[in-house]
Amino acid sequence: MVSPFKIFPFVMYPFIVGSLITGCVSYRVIKAVEGRSVPNIFTEFQVGTTTLQEALQTLGAPDQVAELEGKDVLIYQRSLLFNSGLAFGIPLTDIWGPSFDFSAYGELVRYDLVLLSFTPDGILSEIASEKGSCYPYLKTILSEMQQ
Amino acid sequence: MKRFREPLFVLLLVFFLQSCAGWAKNMDYHPFDASELDRLTPGKSTVAQVTETLGAPSNIVRLSNGNAYIYRRSLSKGTGIWLLIVSFGKYDKHYDQIVIFFDKKNIMTHYGVTLDAHKAAYGLPF
Repeated sequence: MVSPFKIFPFVMYPFIVGSLITGCVSYRVIKAVEGRSVPNIFTEFQVGTTTLQEALQTLGAPDQVAELEGKDVLIYQRSLLFNSGLAFGIPLTDIWGPSFDFSAYGELVRYDLVLLSFTPDGILSEIASEKGSCYPYLKTILSEMQQ
Repeated sequence: MKRFREPLFVLLLVFFLQSCAGWAKNMDYHPFDASELDRLTPGKSTVAQVTETLGAPSNIVRLSNGNAYIYRRSLSKGTGIWLLIVSFGKYDKHYDQIVIFFDKKNIMTHYGVTLDAHKAAYGLPF
């Protein structure tokens, strides 16, 4: 019987080498974005003067609407997920049982948020904002959580 | 130099034979037409006229001085690429939204429109 390695050497060897390499080392990067970018509105909007109508014309429809202690709250939000993972190992689990395997994974979700609170008359009474996307991935995920 | 040619060729073949890519598209669809908003007038249009024009809302929220009717649909696109030992994925989700505010007499007072779903895109995560 003729060995398939002699007939299709350029197919068989790549599959074997590829299978071994892919099992040994792998690196992945995943990014997920939900929503549109949130503009910086602190220069345009003024507490006590900006109206609900102006806010809706400038920013469009909010992502969330709620009533909070007699005031109407509009929230504009974008989430940014970044996931990366690095794994090293020997893919011999099927024939040898457990073998060494090292892996490291990280996932960071950051938020860009603008919260606008309006009186029942439709006058802006409070602004809150967060620009989570300006925090760098590695530095943020490796840092200790600040209380 | 010639002796490196075959291993290099094998490595290149490995790279292509062990690679793959995939695309996905998800749609959370509601058939409202934002251009129909021109038929509605703040201060005049009622809840009945709005629902007749835009259909049933996705959500209703009670507010301090009335209600908000929320119309929302989304489009998301995903891309995955596997290149031997590295893999990349990107997921992009955007929304079309209309929020219509009503006073306590169920008269439309304001509305906000965001038509952003078409901005969902395939691509790499960089």
